[in-house]
Amino acid sequence: MSSVIASEPKAEQAPQSPGAAAAVPTPKPRGEFLYFALRSRKFLIASTILLILVGIAVLGPIIDSTNPNAQDGLMNQGPSLKAGYWMGSTSFGEDVFSQFANGLRATFFVGLLGGGLAALVGMAIGFTAGYRGGWIDEILNMVTNVFLVIPTLALLIVIASYLQRSWPEARGILFEAIFVGLTSWPWAARAIRAQTFTLRSRDFIDLAKLSGRRGWKIILQEIAPNMSSYLFMTFILLFGGAILIAASLDFIGLGPTNGMSLGLMMYNSLNYGAALFLGLWWWFIPPGIGIMATVGALYVMNVGLDEIFNPKLREI
Amino acid sequence: MRRYFGRKLLTYTLTLFIAATIDWLIPRFMPGDPVYGLMSRMGNNSSPEAAKALSDYYYNLFGLNQPIWQQYLNFWGGLLHGDLGRSVFEHGQPVTDAIMAAVPYTLALLIPAILLSWWAGNSFGALAARRKWLDNTMLPVGYILTATPYMWLGIVLAFVFGFTLKMFPFANSYGLNLEPSFTWLFFTDLVAHWMLPFLSLFLVMFGGWAIGMRNMIIYELDADYSRYLEALGAPQRLVRKYAFRNAMLPQITGLALQLGVIVAGSLVTEIVFSYQGVGLLLFNAIKSEDYFLLQGIFLFVIVGVLAANFLVDIAYVIVDPRTRVGMRGGTA
Amino acid sequence: MQQGKTRVLSLLAVLTIAASATACGTATTTPNASGGASAAPDQTYPRAETLYTTGKQWGAPSTWNPLDPNAAMGVVGLQYETLFLYDPLKDVYTPWLAASGTWDTAKTTYTIKTRDGVKWSDTQAFTADDVAFTINLASIKAVGSNLLSYVDSATASDASTVVVKFKANPAYQEWQQWLYNSPILPKHIWSSKADENILKDTNANGVGTGPYMYKTASADRMVWVRNDAWWGAATNPVKPKYIVDIVNGANSVALGQLLAGNIDLSNNYFPGISQIVNGGYGITTYFKSAPYMLAGNTAVLVPNLTKPALKDAAFRKALATAINPDDIVTKDYGDIVQKADPSGLLPIFDKYIDKTQNAPLNYSFDTAKAKQMLAAAGYKAGSDGMVTNLDGSPLKLTLEVPDGWSDWMAAENMIAASAQAAGINVVATHPDFNTVVADRNRPDDATAPKFDLIINNDVQVGNTPWTWYDYVFRQPLPSGAGENRNYEGYKNDTAWGLVQQLDKTPVEDLTTMKSLCSQLQKIQLTDLPVIPLWYNGVWSQVSNSVWTNFPSDTGNQVMPATWNGYWQMGAINMLTQLQAVPPAK
Repeated sequence: MSSVIASEPKAEQAPQSPGAAAAVPTPKPRGEFLYFALRSRKFLIASTILLILVGIAVLGPIIDSTNPNAQDGLMNQGPSLKAGYWMGSTSFGEDVFSQFANGLRATFFVGLLGGGLAALVGMAIGFTAGYRGGWIDEILNMVTNVFLVIPTLALLIVIASYLQRSWPEARGILFEAIFVGLTSWPWAARAIRAQTFTLRSRDFIDLAKLSGRRGWKIILQEIAPNMSSYLFMTFILLFGGAILIAASLDFIGLGPTNGMSLGLMMYNSLNYGAALFLGLWWWFIPPGIGIMATVGALYVMNVGLDEIFNPKLREI
Repeated sequence: MRRYFGRKLLTYTLTLFIAATIDWLIPRFMPGDPVYGLMSRMGNNSSPEAAKALSDYYYNLFGLNQPIWQQYLNFWGGLLHGDLGRSVFEHGQPVTDAIMAAVPYTLALLIPAILLSWWAGNSFGALAARRKWLDNTMLPVGYILTATPYMWLGIVLAFVFGFTLKMFPFANSYGLNLEPSFTWLFFTDLVAHWMLPFLSLFLVMFGGWAIGMRNMIIYELDADYSRYLEALGAPQRLVRKYAFRNAMLPQITGLALQLGVIVAGSLVTEIVFSYQGVGLLLFNAIKSEDYFLLQGIFLFVIVGVLAANFLVDIAYVIVDPRTRVGMRGGTA
Repeated sequence: MQQGKTRVLSLLAVLTIAASATACGTATTTPNASGGASAAPDQTYPRAETLYTTGKQWGAPSTWNPLDPNAAMGVVGLQYETLFLYDPLKDVYTPWLAASGTWDTAKTTYTIKTRDGVKWSDTQAFTADDVAFTINLASIKAVGSNLLSYVDSATASDASTVVVKFKANPAYQEWQQWLYNSPILPKHIWSSKADENILKDTNANGVGTGPYMYKTASADRMVWVRNDAWWGAATNPVKPKYIVDIVNGANSVALGQLLAGNIDLSNNYFPGISQIVNGGYGITTYFKSAPYMLAGNTAVLVPNLTKPALKDAAFRKALATAINPDDIVTKDYGDIVQKADPSGLLPIFDKYIDKTQNAPLNYSFDTAKAKQMLAAAGYKAGSDGMVTNLDGSPLKLTLEVPDGWSDWMAAENMIAASAQAAGINVVATHPDFNTVVADRNRPDDATAPKFDLIINNDVQVGNTPWTWYDYVFRQPLPSGAGENRNYEGYKNDTAWGLVQQLDKTPVEDLTTMKSLCSQLQKIQLTDLPVIPLWYNGVWSQVSNSVWTNFPSDTGNQVMPATWNGYWQMGAINMLTQLQAVPPAK
């Protein structure tokens, strides 16, 4: 299992209906995509929310350049219009808005890098297993299973302690993102393998094989483009999942020890400040809402995209 | 059929072997020495000569004074007897005992939460797929729930229903003023303490299943066979019945894939509520760097997830006749 | 149908825990050994008669063996008792299981008179035999005691008299420490267990003399029930009928429980507690205002004296001058700790601090002066503004504290920043605890340890400044898993001679003790083998909603902690002083 906490993206949300080739849509011209995209309420709402969040993540730290870890402001201030206290301050006098904006940045970073890495690994393994089949499939399947069940959490502790010597950043956001990426791919590999499996026996693949192209070329040129929308949606789910996993790591104290993230904010607000019990809701609530909004919007976007890519779904 | 299960069994055994070996290796690769850590944490302030005697005692207790290959053999030997070694921090207490004391609580949290949320989510999702207004209200709620970090929801519930409204206790697995007994009082108290952690797990999972089911049904209703049935004039109910059945399959697969994550989710939830299950044990093991306890818990989780996966595999064969045919061919 | 099935399943699951929880309970709960307590099995503890505590236990209570340093909360103190109590706040020894203890005129024989009327919880009488037996247990290596290196023999001359004969030059200070620290065990039960496996016995529901008896324990709690047959019950009874100690979980849970009045006494470290104390939540601490907490130990910066630059006393002095402990006290701790005296001695040892001698030797924070001192000692700044080693090679010092120790992590950042401001390149890191220990301890082959700088606070409050000086100056250099002294590797034979002499000074001989301490302070402040920074507190916050009259500087001045070793340092008196809050009508 990915003993790392929280949701791995909901596999069942991935548009896979076993045995039904219909799940793999054919690529659409760009114009058409835009046409339907602008008509998909889900897609529009989700992208708007995401845009706002990205805006806060990008612009926030520029507008309010306070160091999120600087303990030099007034303590326990509620949100107000006063500069430096838009979202209040922590019990150490840190600026909550600055923490939120910087945390959101880290959250997107972990999602993008972790989700992207997981997607890459998942694709590499899924394509190979699905296309080759046979013993290679069996072995890769086993590797996937091992990754599904081994205690990645303990691995994290070991690796982090080892790297710390030579690389003090070992407990930073970058490391966390890479780690989440390298451990959260198994379900994606399985799903991609299944899709590749259904495509493998199609005529156009047989044709490509006959023309003597090499396996990896067929995968890249024929199979991948044919399920590009599916892959993109998988990435989105991995993106959201990486954020949740990272938040849980932060929460049990295995997160980055330098820097700021939404999970860390949650952890600090509880562990150091017991924020909620002392009425400092402005310290504890925003990071949760931030994660919820980001991941929720990503999931909704996924369904929206599904409807755009898959014409049959639009009619409902 | 036999061949299918034979092959599955072989893969599972191999997976278990590899995972268990990795699990055994992990504490051995940890930097530092567990006995050093233990002696230092105990705040041992005896004289140097006395401390030496004590540390020798601990090396012996944990079997750390044996060659590494012997330790590996001991690990498997112990494992076959259900012995997961000894906890470093908890005075060499057998890890199996510590885990066994915690397991009932975790299972009592997980099994109802998984089954109820799976059942409720699927029914609700199926319902939503045919009622527009329900779909419109349920969809956002479902997405919000499934995107919520378990621990955050848990703390909000603890704060609102536990701390502020005082409806349910928000810490420990039974009242601090009680001793376990077969009484109504104890039973109700147990349920009261179980309520909030259960709810936080249930709600997050519910959102996921409901949305998954809703999406699957919509797929199925658009599949060729549904259209064909409709064209033939089959009653709407029948079409939906078939759609629901087919949509169940990926939900079962989903359950198998999600198990690890769900277990992980229950771990953080237990931490938030100080609920004395495996998760809290794990949290303490991490905090005190009790590697043998850590190793034991992970092994336990590995076996649990593998076993549950195996069960799901069997369930799949029973539910989906196609698998039964395909089994012999060796395809997907 | 399906619905029915899931309902049945969930019900089954709840029944399963109910059943197994009960099974666990019955396995560990045994009826009260003494007939004194009520006959009916108690399953609930009335709130008004129960004291809820937390803070000591970092994992499930798993051993009740009083010889194990890791024993559950209260095993020594509540269940097993010591011959004396020692109150560090008043510097007074109170006879406890002993009625008296006296030296002969030559001070080589110590005679202990045992208290009359003391009974073990299995109703057997406590006698001098038990005391002699306990002293002789020190011959078992696993007990981890060096008592017999200075005690020659201990024999019970009659039922209430123990004669302890000492070897030449008794270690008076250590003996006095033993008297209040070591629990007395019943010979009739332990004589059969007295071998090298003595620690393997978890001794649940053991037989003690103390005011409490084992009731039950589970993964998240330890429950004690009052022993009404306790020898002090008639004159000075302990008030709570039950003490439930809760295993530490997440900090938020502990604070939530404290605020909700479900926990009466918490010995956890809560950052920002000063705001809570002043915030009208009904939570109080020992002092009403800064420093809020009593001082419990000294946090020191330990340099590795085998490393270049750090082996140079002039460099260490410059480093000490570059650090600003006031900043740590205020910003990191919110004033719940105090800056340490340069001697490193706790406030309770104030009388041993030679202020007139030390004044010119003391150092204080001054960045500019630190720079001058570095330059005067020949350390030149490189191109990056940081000083180099004397041979011109770059100088970078890594400071390690365990990961997750949030207060220390903040402190090390402040130390690194202020050292850098003075031109000393200190880099703050926080590996996991075991790595810090592995780096810190001298390997068994006595080669140099790996660390550059660490923060350490191993010396706890106690009866004698000897402990502190033994910690700083111990020779031969300890090593291996059990190393707990002289991490810096300081070798000074004069100092070590003085420390041994101090150990061998009778505790009543204050003049000699002071003079030896003064000489040691001179060496310490001149050579600066370690740099004392601040006093960590005896963290203690109480809720006052069910019990009041907790220790405070304006009320009962006793140690307010449930930690190991604190019960016999007077905290047991807290239990006799507590008052139940009358229930609201």
